[in-house]
Amino acid sequence: MFGYYLRLSLRRCRQNLAVVGLLVLTMAIGIASTMTAMTIFGALAGEPLPGISSQLYVATMDAREAVDKDNPDYKQPDSYLKLGDAKALVDAHRAPQQLALAQSYIEASNPDGKQSDQVTGFMVYGKPLGMLGVPLRYGRPWTAQELAARVPVVVIDSDLAQKLFGSEDAVGRGVLMGKQVFRVIGVTAPWKPHTAFLDLPRNQGDPLGSNEQFFVPAEAALEAGVGPLTSGECGKGAPVVAFQSAEVQHCRWLEVWTRLDTPAQEAGWRAFLAGYADAQHVAGRYVYPPQPKLYGTRAWMTLNHVVPDDVRLNLMLAGAFLLLCMVNVAGLLAARFLRRQADVAIRRALGASKRTVFVQHIVETGVLGLAGGVLALPLTGLGLWIVRMQPVSYSEAARFSPGVFGVLLLLSLVVGLLVGVLPAWRVCRQPPALQIKVA
Amino acid sequence: MRHVVNPLLRHRLMPLLVVLQVALACAIACNALFLLQQKLVPILTPDGIGAPDRLVMAWNIASRGKPWPTSRLLEVRQALRALPGVSAASVAGSLPMETNAQMNGTAVAEDTRIKAGDAAVYIGADLVETLGLQLVAGRDFSAEEQGIQYHGMGINDSGPTIITRALAHRLFPDGHALGKVIRIGEAADAAHRTVVGVVAHLMSNKFDAAGGNVDYTMLFPGVPGNWPMPVFAVRAASGTDVARVRKAVKDTIYRELGNQLIQGFEPTIQMYGDMRAHALAKFRAAVWLLAGVSVVVLVVTLAGIMGLTGYWVQQRTRQIGIRRALGARRKHILRELQLENLLVVGAGVLLGLATAYAINLWLMRHYELTRLPWQYLPFGAALMLLLGQLAVLSPALRASRVPPVVATRSV
Repeated sequence: MFGYYLRLSLRRCRQNLAVVGLLVLTMAIGIASTMTAMTIFGALAGEPLPGISSQLYVATMDAREAVDKDNPDYKQPDSYLKLGDAKALVDAHRAPQQLALAQSYIEASNPDGKQSDQVTGFMVYGKPLGMLGVPLRYGRPWTAQELAARVPVVVIDSDLAQKLFGSEDAVGRGVLMGKQVFRVIGVTAPWKPHTAFLDLPRNQGDPLGSNEQFFVPAEAALEAGVGPLTSGECGKGAPVVAFQSAEVQHCRWLEVWTRLDTPAQEAGWRAFLAGYADAQHVAGRYVYPPQPKLYGTRAWMTLNHVVPDDVRLNLMLAGAFLLLCMVNVAGLLAARFLRRQADVAIRRALGASKRTVFVQHIVETGVLGLAGGVLALPLTGLGLWIVRMQPVSYSEAARFSPGVFGVLLLLSLVVGLLVGVLPAWRVCRQPPALQIKVA
Repeated sequence: MRHVVNPLLRHRLMPLLVVLQVALACAIACNALFLLQQKLVPILTPDGIGAPDRLVMAWNIASRGKPWPTSRLLEVRQALRALPGVSAASVAGSLPMETNAQMNGTAVAEDTRIKAGDAAVYIGADLVETLGLQLVAGRDFSAEEQGIQYHGMGINDSGPTIITRALAHRLFPDGHALGKVIRIGEAADAAHRTVVGVVAHLMSNKFDAAGGNVDYTMLFPGVPGNWPMPVFAVRAASGTDVARVRKAVKDTIYRELGNQLIQGFEPTIQMYGDMRAHALAKFRAAVWLLAGVSVVVLVVTLAGIMGLTGYWVQQRTRQIGIRRALGARRKHILRELQLENLLVVGAGVLLGLATAYAINLWLMRHYELTRLPWQYLPFGAALMLLLGQLAVLSPALRASRVPPVVATRSV
């Protein structure tokens, strides 16, 4: 029966190509605009590190000391801590995994200075590779002893290794960063979070993650004159921002992240954090009540508006537009079906039940919906291409992914069926006798 | 009237679908056009820069480690000023179209406490001359005022200021801004700035200041201290080769500051017009997008109403024939169908305007958007009614040509 309905609907579609074309095009435009907006929103609002970032938490507190009292620029407790505080929190090992990090942007070169590159990476206190899920290709991560002894070692990614040394396996080579040569102990695969959720304050206005091409122990880096991209909060009287300075002993510049798998671990870490902060306040170091807080990755991204308002507004606009297209198509379909009341009347008089009439028409709209979906595919490609041409910070997020394809097919089928329900119900509702009389 | 309303009530599906469609289209179009208008503001507001084709800007200049001392920046400015073909040169904390570093403050009129939020503050030497601003009242800063040395950025210091006409109107509605005092911020110890001059326009570099105005700007003399991202503006004398001046500016910047720049960021030395185009590209793109969306929404709605009305008229061919046979004239049929469309679309418009307003209220709560001005509502309503009339024209004309003889057929 289904096959018959399918053939029937195809035949009917051929009868009035102009109207069918209009229906399919309207649906396709609505679906394509929604898919375009959804692709971008999904890329920005999704998990930055699938399977990992949902267990990561960042700490914020008001860690201002006497030098930073009454600073009019200070709005609310932020995520930056001084190196001493960050070390104390990490070294306590109260969570399964923890680290402190700050983003850095430096020039790295091979020891003779012939090959060099400007790269983004992290200065870390702790052990980043396992906790962030960075895949190691060669060598090993640094040890706790190396971290504590401030041994100048570095883990770089294969792109940087290729660029500096002409081969990916650069373990044992030296990389000149700042005034010192760091020994490469590990080489990772190219790695970047989908969105820049780590060290967000240094990535304001730039929601997409960048390739993190090196990891270096924070204290060893400072000793070599390598500092974070910006110095963070350095107290009253300091410049609003200072770039690439290793003179950060008076600054709050590191974020502390922890991996917490269970609510019990979360509560435990929260209590430890509160205890630490209060102790500092009581001791007089923190001049204000510290208000320590813990944010999960998603909450932290929401708080910091990682997804630009424009992206959300565009998604809503596209959704409303799809709704309009659906109402439009439903109306045109109703007109189309009701024009055939005479045919339906004959089928009903010959014994077709309301249900079969309904199914027949629903199949037809389903076919139209799928046709709309097929047409929406190139249109979505076009929409994403247009967004990529735009001078916006998230343009690179406008890329086709396999998931998009599936969602699109599903969406078009749902749209096709939804718009058909009302007209199909309307056409099968009237009693056969009346319809024959009209005919 | 009754013979127009009654059929609508008897066959509710078609009119209902039209109402729904019009309401949705109206709500979307009102909000999209409102967003569009907001994106147009920075593009259409005069930026106040005189002869922009002779203004060279050097920005994206950031110091590695400690910021350059003010004396060093002034030396660089002297070097730029001394270049052949240069008539004026300035160094400032930030300038129009420079979005990397912004200085903003709340300006409060000292006497009346009238406020203007998010007013841009440009602190720099000789800006009126270099930017070619048009003084409409008062005077430029004196040489003595220009020589002020700030310990901090300067935004919290007292002194003279030159403000834009728009800001003057806002803070001093009585029209007497000269000599009045503006407090920078609402704190008790906020700085005092005395208005010494008013310029016609000068655009803020915070384009989407919430509730603000992109023409609310204040100039302070001097150079901000401890500021890591200075901007240089260089005006080429008329009749000189601007490209050569630009090249010379570039060479000078690299020679003077090159070894203290942060690694990996290249200074940008470009014409003001290019800088403006770059800074506003995002807004132009958004305008195109929203205009495109609005047009497509209207076209889709037009097609939808046409299709539905066409069917709705065709259904009643026989009734129309009877009315014609009973003496109704062509123009009666035409008028009736137009009136019917007006009623249906009007209902949709009322629903749509209410929805548009509700959406706007919701957006205001969650995003940095301002209230939908009420002027949009009659405008949106007129647009939709016109659209409806346009859509009904062809089906109505067809219906009015139905001959009375149709009434006798198929009975």
